[in-house]
Amino acid sequence: MDARAVLDHQFLVAAYALTWAIQLGYLAWLGLRWRAQKREAARSGRVLRNSTVANP
Amino acid sequence: MKKLAFGLYAALTVALLAWGFYQAIYVAPLDAQQGEIFRIIFYHVPSASVAFLFFAISLAGSIGYLAFRRNRPERAQISDAWALAGAEVGVVFCSVVLVTGPIWGRRAWGIWWTWDARLTTTLVLWLIYVSYLLLRRFAAGPQVQTLAAVLGIFGALDVPIVYMSNRWWRTQHPAPVFGGDADSGMDPIMKHALLWNMLAWLAWGVLILALRYRVERQQQKIAADEAQAAMDAIL
Repeated sequence: MDARAVLDHQFLVAAYALTWAIQLGYLAWLGLRWRAQKREAARSGRVLRNSTVANP
Repeated sequence: MKKLAFGLYAALTVALLAWGFYQAIYVAPLDAQQGEIFRIIFYHVPSASVAFLFFAISLAGSIGYLAFRRNRPERAQISDAWALAGAEVGVVFCSVVLVTGPIWGRRAWGIWWTWDARLTTTLVLWLIYVSYLLLRRFAAGPQVQTLAAVLGIFGALDVPIVYMSNRWWRTQHPAPVFGGDADSGMDPIMKHALLWNMLAWLAWGVLILALRYRVERQQQKIAADEAQAAMDAIL
């Protein structure tokens, strides 16, 4: 492998790795938001039930 | 049943991505002029195509929101969720384009960036949709969704300009490979590999778009529940 081919290979690996970092990073962020929302929805549901009980 | 269908779709997407990677690295031949660096095309071009498609979904959602906001609030909220999901996932794919492009350009042209029409209009497109997301994130008040919908519609006007830029103007960016001049085109094996990767990235995009839409709909429901609880507390 000559020097040019080695450099090409490194740039290619960098491009593919960065693509996956962006995509998987976004997926992880989405997963964390989903989890936080589930907790928030449970809390919000409790608040809603309590307010309904207080004001039937 | 829904969970099973989602799991099967996710498994199919992962298999397609693995197959696309195999096609890109082991099946497609080396480019006669560019050598191995040419293989960036298998991530760069599909990402651009998927970004364009999702910005079109955002456009449809924005138009839907403006059309339904007065008389069909539920439909308006659904449209708004699609608009936001399309814009956000489109920005993710557009970011991939703007990262992989300069890496390719550095090896192919010797420069990371140049202000030619294709690159500049793509950067402007990305900036418009990032500003759309910042508006959604930080602005408050009843008009935010309407303002965002208007911005989403104007942002989408840049998509055809990006697509046509290397047809309308002489650019450093290569001329279109598909649908270009008579001498445009690609080796059939390379084309085959590119189509597999387009399918794989489209499947991946649809997966995360559906997740993002679901998260946004859930957020709307939480906001509605909280508003209801606040009203009940007042009454």
